[in-house]
Amino acid sequence: MIVLCVVSILLLTFYIREGDRGPIHSIRSGVVTVTSPLRFVGSAVATPFNAVGNIFSNLTASQETLSDLQAKNAELTAQVAELSEAQETATRLEALVGLQSTYNLQSTAARIIGASGDAWSQTVTIDKGSADGFTVGMPVCNAYGVIGQITECALNVSTVLLINDESSGVSAMVQSSRAQGMLRGQADGSLRLEYVPADAEVKVGDIVITSGIGGVFPKGLPLGTVTSVEKSDNDVYYTINVRMQASAENNEEVLVITSLNPDQVATDEEIVAANDAEAAPAQDTTQDDDSADSADDGSGDSESGQDDTSEDEYSESDDYEE
Amino acid sequence: MPLRETTRSLQGVWIIAIVAAVLQVALSPQISILNGTVNFMMVLSITLALTAEPGTAVIIGFASGLFFDLTSSAPVGLMSLILSVASFLVASSAHGAMGGITRESIRLVGIALLVANLLYGLCLFFMGVQGDLLWALLGHGLSSTVLDFLVALIFMAIGGGSSSQRSFSTRGGASRYKMPR
Repeated sequence: MIVLCVVSILLLTFYIREGDRGPIHSIRSGVVTVTSPLRFVGSAVATPFNAVGNIFSNLTASQETLSDLQAKNAELTAQVAELSEAQETATRLEALVGLQSTYNLQSTAARIIGASGDAWSQTVTIDKGSADGFTVGMPVCNAYGVIGQITECALNVSTVLLINDESSGVSAMVQSSRAQGMLRGQADGSLRLEYVPADAEVKVGDIVITSGIGGVFPKGLPLGTVTSVEKSDNDVYYTINVRMQASAENNEEVLVITSLNPDQVATDEEIVAANDAEAAPAQDTTQDDDSADSADDGSGDSESGQDDTSEDEYSESDDYEE
Repeated sequence: MPLRETTRSLQGVWIIAIVAAVLQVALSPQISILNGTVNFMMVLSITLALTAEPGTAVIIGFASGLFFDLTSSAPVGLMSLILSVASFLVASSAHGAMGGITRESIRLVGIALLVANLLYGLCLFFMGVQGDLLWALLGHGLSSTVLDFLVALIFMAIGGGSSSQRSFSTRGGASRYKMPR
């Protein structure tokens, strides 16, 4: 037991310390590739149940009294559900094509074939991988907006970390007032827009979009809608809850954005404006302590408590952190 | 007379293990109820540990955990570590003679699943993968434990059924026998 425990701890240590292209990540990628046919089968098996699950439960209640007619009814209902599903698929595909053309996205379509295998992370698996040109870091969206970013890429499947996972964060802004912040996932699967200065104008119902800062997500893609805005008297930043615009349902089509056009990245002026907005309240708080967000990780560090926050620093801060 | 592991054929173990692995990859990602998912590999290792030698149980636990780690997005090595220890403790407590559904085996499996899931959530919290301890333990851990427990009952029933077909059955009252060590 001791030997295997030591091996486990060593595996864990190497996994944490190695990069995305380390041997353990490569082995996992290989295992995911090998087991991907099973995932496809599981997705195919589960799909009809997604569509007729409620119908089935209703039918079982009246099964004692109905016989042939009920079976016929069930068959027809299943067909209707199947056709409705096909119609919805067509509608979603049309919307995806619309999104692709509206935002001029260079993207490849894929399909969600499963959710996370463990309860602790918000991820989905899509049916295309490195063989289709996908790489780690590519943003993923559906017809309603951004859903996440590829974090693991096997040969024929990829894992997408959803934006509502608590380890994710996207540079975002409020569409109406252009107030910039960082959209982070919470433990309960909700979204929160952080680091929006308290002097900015934000109200319930405002749409939150990607800001394009960081050069990962195209600028202007919808992320969600503001559901509540809170601020105490001495707060430097708002506490803004956001409802996710897009949902990641099984068997739905998504677009993986393979590259960005120059006009989809934040302009220099926008980066400077974002830095200015972030620097002002951060300077105030630095006088008292190490700033409100200095205890936080990722982007907060690059934005707060820095008098000389440069444009490059902000640009290099990644949209997504793990 | 080697009583341990005589109740379950090696072939049966392989079949159950393969079925669990297939279910883990194909079915587990499709089922999510109240923020919990079924961990078939955890169920497999814990239920097999009931009738296995501690040494064998550790190997099964490690292999099951590693398979889970490699097919999920969780840190590699964590589940294998937890299942290695959990399987060892279950096997040591069960003395290799808790096949089938008995009050003792249900209680032991329930406790093991609960502890393993909560420990997993706790480790993820300390590793920074989870930011909210309550959600990690109660939101995900408890619901996963309930789902795992329901699946474990099925596994135990199947395991108990196969073991009772053999010449020596340990179902019910097996603890009255003195186990040679």
